[in-house]
Amino acid sequence: MELPTLVASVIVVSLYVNLGIALYGIFARPSLVKKLLAITILSDTANAFAVLVGYRWPRTGTPQPPVLMNTTNYNESIKYYIEHAVDPLPQALVLTAIVIGLAVTLFIAFVIIQYYRLYGTVNVRKTATSSR
Amino acid sequence: MIEIFTLAFLMLISVTSVIAAFKAIIEKDMVRAIVYSAIQSAMYALIFYVLMAPDIVLVYIPVSVGITPAILLFVTKKTERRDGD
Repeated sequence: MELPTLVASVIVVSLYVNLGIALYGIFARPSLVKKLLAITILSDTANAFAVLVGYRWPRTGTPQPPVLMNTTNYNESIKYYIEHAVDPLPQALVLTAIVIGLAVTLFIAFVIIQYYRLYGTVNVRKTATSSR
Repeated sequence: MIEIFTLAFLMLISVTSVIAAFKAIIEKDMVRAIVYSAIQSAMYALIFYVLMAPDIVLVYIPVSVGITPAILLFVTKKTERRDGD
């Protein structure tokens, strides 16, 4: 197996393991704050997957960020950009998803604080067996 | 020739992110779990940098290493510090 394929497999496997760890945290841990932390890990892993899908290895040379640096020699720079740059569309989508995820995290945080004021605990198992 | 050091670095930060995420979920003390989660987010920022997304790194480091642990620490201060029974 070639070295880039091996390393890419290690990255993909580690992202899948992180996905599994985050799902375990959401389903099995009793604390709501720990569930929120697991949700942030899950969204970060999904964003990393989206960026990894847009990554590509050019036939010659090394990949470059999707930024057009040189505009004086227009045709050659456009040709070089098309041959070497990674896909910019997943990066734009992930950039939006990170900011939306921050807003959702803030909203769930204040819901958890109101839950604590109502029930006196953030442990869902204690809430299930309490009298209220 | 492929940069072997870049690929080895990418492998190292992937494994570190898995270890940090596991410790963040398993840890009983919420403050330590949030610190482990911040370490995992920093490793993801390095992964984004190696995957040629510098604009995402510029947004991701303040949001996911700074603001999200700050929100979680605020919630932990307002509620319980211990996780579990």
